[in-house]
Formats: sequence, structure tokens, C-alpha cells
Amino acid sequence: MLEQVRQRARELLERKQADGVLALKKGYWDVIQPHVFTAPAEIDKLVLEPKWLLAKMARAVLLERPQPWRLVVVMRGCDERAVVELVKRNQVDRERLLTLGYACDSAQAKACLCNRPYPQKLDAGSAVEGVDPLTDERVKSYLEGDARTRMEKWAEQLRRCIKCYGCRNSCPICVCVPCKLEDEVWVERGVVPAEMTTFHLIRAFHLSDTCVACGACQEACPVGIPLMTLQLSMREALKRDYNYEAGIDADRKSPVLSDFIKEPRPGQDMPDWVDSTEKKP
Amino acid sequence: MKPEFIRTICPYCGTGCGLILKVEEGRATATYPDRENPVNRGSLCVKGWFAHEFVHHPERLTAPLLRKGDRFEAISWEEAIDLAAQKLSETAGEYGPDSVGGLSSAKCTNEENYLFQKLIRAAFKTNNVDHCARLCHAATTVGMLQTLGSGAMTNSISDLAGADCIVFVGSNAAETHPVLMGEVYKALDRGAKMFVIDPRETAVARNAHRLLRLNPGTDIPLLAGMMRHISDKGLHNVGFIEKRTENFENLKTFLEAWPVEKAAKETGIDESVIRAVAETYAKAKNAAIVYCMGITQHACGAANVIAICDLAMLCGHVGKHFSGIYPLRGQNNVQGACDMGALPDLYPGYQGVSDPAVREKFQKAWKTDLSDKPGLTVTELINTAGKDIRALYIMAENPCLSDPDVNHVMEALQRLDFLVVQDIFLTETARFAHLVLPGACFAEKTGTYTNTERRFQLLHKAIDPPGAAKGDFEILCLLGKALGLAFDYPSPADVMSEYAHLVPAYAGVSFDRLERVGLQWPCPDENHPGTRFLHGEKFTRGLGRFVIPDYRPPAEKPDSEYPYYLNTGRVFAHYHTGTMSRRSPFLNREIEWAYVEIHPADAAALGIREGERIRVSSRRGSIVTTAKITDRVAKGSIFAPFHFTEARANRLTNPVLDPACKTPEYKVCAVSVEKERYEATAR
Repeated sequence: MLEQVRQRARELLERKQADGVLALKKGYWDVIQPHVFTAPAEIDKLVLEPKWLLAKMARAVLLERPQPWRLVVVMRGCDERAVVELVKRNQVDRERLLTLGYACDSAQAKACLCNRPYPQKLDAGSAVEGVDPLTDERVKSYLEGDARTRMEKWAEQLRRCIKCYGCRNSCPICVCVPCKLEDEVWVERGVVPAEMTTFHLIRAFHLSDTCVACGACQEACPVGIPLMTLQLSMREALKRDYNYEAGIDADRKSPVLSDFIKEPRPGQDMPDWVDSTEKKP
Repeated sequence: MKPEFIRTICPYCGTGCGLILKVEEGRATATYPDRENPVNRGSLCVKGWFAHEFVHHPERLTAPLLRKGDRFEAISWEEAIDLAAQKLSETAGEYGPDSVGGLSSAKCTNEENYLFQKLIRAAFKTNNVDHCARLCHAATTVGMLQTLGSGAMTNSISDLAGADCIVFVGSNAAETHPVLMGEVYKALDRGAKMFVIDPRETAVARNAHRLLRLNPGTDIPLLAGMMRHISDKGLHNVGFIEKRTENFENLKTFLEAWPVEKAAKETGIDESVIRAVAETYAKAKNAAIVYCMGITQHACGAANVIAICDLAMLCGHVGKHFSGIYPLRGQNNVQGACDMGALPDLYPGYQGVSDPAVREKFQKAWKTDLSDKPGLTVTELINTAGKDIRALYIMAENPCLSDPDVNHVMEALQRLDFLVVQDIFLTETARFAHLVLPGACFAEKTGTYTNTERRFQLLHKAIDPPGAAKGDFEILCLLGKALGLAFDYPSPADVMSEYAHLVPAYAGVSFDRLERVGLQWPCPDENHPGTRFLHGEKFTRGLGRFVIPDYRPPAEKPDSEYPYYLNTGRVFAHYHTGTMSRRSPFLNREIEWAYVEIHPADAAALGIREGERIRVSSRRGSIVTTAKITDRVAKGSIFAPFHFTEARANRLTNPVLDPACKTPEYKVCAVSVEKERYEATAR
């Protein structure tokens, strides 16, 4: 798979179809870090592991390059979904961002609780079966059962917040300027831990229909708050009521942006928004 | 033209997180966490995420500045270096070697610190070199050297995740060392118990199983009470004490004087709580004590540290994985600055200046005569400025905000015949300088920092310093050469190989080996993998020594004139004197102006409302700041962050020193609080 990716990346650079390739580089002393490859000869240092999300970096790189400059991003399924969402919001120019997708292995899928561990445009590797995050015991303990117990569990976790803004900074879709979390109307300044209902829930709901479950927020959280789990119930609700999944269909608008008349299932005019994944009667 | 991603190390706290700077055309435009760094593994705190923001601040110094009357004039580097060399050596010639002093910097790299102390020692034959560790963890160095033999954190940060009981004493790590809290919470999720000993309900206390809210400065009574209960109950680790330690009988005699009841009375904590916490700590399979400035910044700071070491040794919770004592170092490289001998009584590697054999070794290596007289500490250098000390060279320190009783510091600096300040901004201290040298920040240099877990980590130069500013390494080399020293080091790596040869514990470190994950000293040879925890087979000093902690209550207690306790410290969005963090727009947005925390009952009694301007005064000075009403401080106490130049908490603090380590008592002094009244002024 690695050789396939390198081959393809090299070709794209040689044929001048792209000016740079954003991927991981194994450098001096085997240190791995993100890197923009511009010389085909350099490509033999390109590696795929560990998981390191690049979509947001790709956006930042493109923003500072002049118009015709094109970037290839070597990416996993989650990165690709993030790019789809960014394109929908005019945050990246699809013409200038090419993807080179590769599939994750099942160990990675399990570690991420990923239901789609592969990109739709698969250039290397073969897709493995995804994992339903809602079957995970830890996820269930946060999303199922007695609401009060779960509330306490969430409060215990969110009390650990050090307000690093890492969840926002690492999220590939969190690109609003100005950011609601920097608006004093909503979030009190200078206070740690950041407030649960304002800081964390505003962030979560703001991403309710865009979260691609890449797990970047959770991985960037220094204190290990299960932030991706916070999004799962909303992702599940959108899927159930609208058959909508963020990052899959570049042409389909988020149902949250549409009117409720056309979108839901026939015979139902409002979705049964829920705070949990349990089926309501 | 393409963007570069450069790996480097965060310039803020001692945790030592790995950063990746995105560089566009010579400008650092973004910071990302380094997923491959073993310390932070892909996360950062808010300061780290915005570490690039101050780098290109318009107020960066770009040329050497010479004082002309009451203003500064840009001069060339040749002039600046000549002037500095000439003035410093003239002073030493006229008033004797000990009339010159230097303050090195915990913000600069190991190599720069090594060169700085070598420059002061070799060029002027004095040991008058110190740095801000004096103001924070000197107590640790002194206390732990006596008991364990090494003044560094015994274990690694990642070891916290495996502890079964974690006791925080005087540390608000959730705000001051946020990223390492992740390891603590991993332990909690495994079922570990966490206790916090602090007079304030800090951010870290809110996640603890219990907060022991002791009276300010009563750490020793509390720890003694805990030890007494442990030994009364027979919970002490007899095997460990017999095999690994000495002087236990002395401790037992000392504990006679501290029955739990007395400890409870002195500290204001329930007897039952002291007993319960002591038992949990003693019975835990692996237990860790994390401490910080709340322990060291007292008139009995060194004794506080000793008491902590005694408690850990009593239970055998040191010298193994997942246990140990964690003094959290404040600055990014304060560990390194100490290691490199920027201390008045120690050469690099904690080798005493008064030891003839050691001195002989350094004289031979440096090909010069050296003084055997221990030099003056930070606080003494400032106190004697203009008297015994005539000229001072300050590299990247800001004593006008960081030292206690800054009014006195500012007077002292003005008495100097010659003051050179080397910094990246015109700091409050640089304003008093005769000559200002523009240095480089973390993104502009190559070198190493040593983090709180003794890990040497490599910085990669990402961009050039602005304008004519130079790397501190380069400046030190130029100045060294101008002073007649053989300072022709081609690169910082050569400096490292010099000190690696002089200090057995660093013999195995080299720039090459640090590239991937750094190395934790001791690392005695090229194949040694570094040391995850200290004191494993035996203590660094041989046997662990129980020392009697000498309890002294705070020097200043509230009275009718100054009825409140003042506590000082840091907040999550700012760092120390604010030179960097207050020039970072994102961090400054988070906390924009000075405030003090005051208890609702006290506020009500004084008629103070939230956000109102108040005046806080002590015997030494007075500041105008704003009130933040919260019950996180105890009634009768106020808390002031010390980052703010417009309301410097250190105008108030008491410069009384711990005689053992010369650390000032920042954490306790008496103040009065009143509403600030305005007189209408015509405009």
C-alpha cells in the first residue's frame, strides 16, 4: 500500500499535476512529522503511520499559496470526509486540493471506533469493515442508561477541561472566524475549566451536522475527555432521521440547513431529536 | 516556495511539550502539537497552541540599544559588544572580581546557560551567577540534595498514570502544567485517589477526591501529622527504612512533637481527614507526591521539601516506577539552567565550587583560574546592587516583575554603574539598562531544553531573529571572545560535547541522540538509554537520609493594619512576567487585566463589587487592581496573579528569605484591601 501511495504521489509531482504533496515524512533518526513534498526524489521518505490528520493543515497551506498552486493530500477516510465538508462550506478550493486516499487497517478502525475506515476515492490499500461506535462499552456508558448518572459522568470529565482550545484548534471543520467560543456573550473569559454548557455544548452543537467523527478533538485533548462520543448521538440522529452522514455526499446540503418539510421521512414532520441513542417509543 | 514544518519545544512551562511550527517565508504562522513527542503526544495547552503569536510582535528588539540620557539609541553590534566587554572588565578591575554579577536565564537553552556561567566565572573570576530557580525551586535543590542526593523530579511524567494515590501539595498543575494532568486523570480513571493540599480551591482541587485547605504556611505541621499517624499505626515501610535509609530515629524523635491533634489545630484541617489521607497514601501500592511553588516559596521552603522527602521515604514510595516525588519545574528550561551550573555555589552537574578537586577539573578544562568562594544569589545580587555589586549582566530575566518587593529591586538596579540586559522585548528590567542586547526567542535558535522530568530535548531553528537581533548563543560567543575567552564554538552541539565531558551524568548526551525523543539524565555513556526514575537501586547520595524539617511559621501574619493574607501565583492563560504571553493576542484576550481573587464575605464587608477597582497594600508597596469575587480563596485571604505589569503583585510580597536556599516567601504576606477612590481630575 505504501509503495502504491509513493508511486502515485511521485507521478503527480513528476507530471506537474500538483505542486506539493502534504503527507507524513520519516526523516532524520526516523522522526515522523507532517511535510510538504515538492521534489519527486524526496517521496521515498513518505510514510502513512501513525494516524495524523492533515485536512486542517492542508487548508492552512493552501490559504497561503497563490492561486494556481495545487496540493495533494495523502489521507485516510476521515480526512477525506473533512475535506468534503470544507469544500461544502467554501473553505477549500476542490480544484486545488487533490486527495490520495488510502484505507486504514482493522486495528486502526477499532482504535478509532470508525464506521468508515476508508476514503470513497480509494487509491491504495483495500477497505476493511468499519466498527459501529455505538457498540463500544465506554461509548455506551456515556450515551445509554440513566440520564442523571450520565450527566454526572460527563460533568466529571468536562470538569477536567484546561481550556486549551485544542478540540477547536485540531477540528478540521472548526474554521469559523470569529469563533463563538471567543465571544464573551457565550463563553466567560479567563475561567478554567471551560463551562460545560457554554463552551463544550456550543462547540458540540455547532458541529452537530458537520462532525465526520475523525476523533481529532479527542486525540488533541490533553486530559482525555471523550469528545467524539459527545458528537455521536447527533450524528446518529441525523443518520436515522434524514439518512444523512457528514462528509459523504459533496452535493447534499445538511438537513439542519434545510426546512423540515421536505427532509424527514414521509409522514414525519419533525425529527425525534434525542439526547441519547436509545429508541423512543 | 513551500511551507516548512519545524519541530521544536514549547517555550512556556517545564512540561516540555513538542511543537511543530509552520513556517511561511521566514515567518512562524501556526503552531501544531507534535504527536511523536513522548511528553505531550499530540496535545497542548492554550499557551502552546498560540506560542507563535509573540514571535513576530512589533515590539521585538531588533538592534542593540544604548542609553543616552533617558532614551535609547540604536548602535551597532561591534560598539555594543565592545562597550559591554569594556565596562564589565573595567568594573571587575576597579572594584574586584566580586563586583560583577550575572543573571542567567531559565528561558534560554542549556548551551547558552553553560556559556553564560562559564563567561561570568572564567572572565571575571567570580561565582556571582544565578538565575530565577532561586525564586522557585532552589528549596528543592537544597532540600532534596540533603535527603535523596539529587534535586530533580524522581520519576517521569508518564509514571503518574500508574500511581494509586496522588497527593498535590501547593501545585495548581491544571493551570500551570496543564498537559501533564492527562497522566493524572489516567490514574484517576484506573481508580486512583487524588488529594490536594492547598489553601485555595484551585482548578486541580476541583477534580480531587479531597481538598485539604490548610492555613497558609502550615505544610510542615500537616506533613508531620501525617507521618506521625503513619508511624503510630505502623504503616511505615520498615524494610525500606532499614535497607535504604539512615537517621530514622531522629525523625521519630521529631514526630514526638507532632501529635495529629496538634497538627490539626495548627493547619485548621480535621484530624480525621489528616488520618485518612495519611493512611491512603501509606497503604497505596504506588503513591506520588506532586509539589510546586506552594511548598518552596516559603521562609521554610527547603524544610517543606525535606518533609515531603521524609514522608515519601517513610512509606517507601520513592525509587520505583509510578511513585516518587514530583517537583514541577516552572520554566521551560529551569531544570537545565540548574543542571548547567547557573548557580552561585555549583558548577555544571551540581559539582560544588568549593570542592578543590572539582575546581581543579574545571580550571583545567577551561584553562583559567576560578574562584572557590560561592557567589551571591539572585536576591543578594539585587540587594547589594550599587554597593558590592557594581555591574550586572542580565540575560532574559525580568526581576522587576518576578522578584519580591519590586519597588526595592527597581531602586537597586538604578544604583548600578552598568547594567546590560539581553532580552527579546524591552522588558520592565531592560528599561533600567545602560545597554540592551536583542536576543532570540525559542523559534529562532538551535539548542536543548531540559524539562521537568530531566529530559534533554532538541530545538530546531525555524526562523531568523528579527532585524539585527542575534541568537543568545552567538551573543555570548561574541562577548566571550571580546573578554578574551576562547569562545569559538562552531555550534551549540560543540558546547554540549564540552559539558558532556565535564559532567558524568550527561556524558552520553549528544544532539544526534536527542533528535527523536530526547534523553532523560543521568545518561552516563553513549549507549545508555537514559533514566526513567532515580534512586532505583540506591539513592543518589547512597542512603536516603531522614532530616528534621525545621518549621517556621510565615514571617508576616495578618494584623489589624494589614488584615489579609496575600497569596500569589499563575493563571492558565499567562506566563510569569507576561513578556511573551501578554503580547500574544489570543492569550491576552483570555485574561486582559490584573485582578485579585477575594472571598465574597470579605468583599461584602468591604463593600466591594465584582470587577471594581481596589487598592491592595502591604508594608512594601501598593497596587491598584480589580476584584474578582470567588470562594475559591479562603475567607481572610486574597490571591493575586503576578503577571501584570500595571499591578505587580510583587510590589507587595515580602522579601524575607529562607536562610537555607534564599528563596523568598512569595506565598504569604499580610496586606490590606480597600476600594480605590478617585479624585476628579480636570482634563
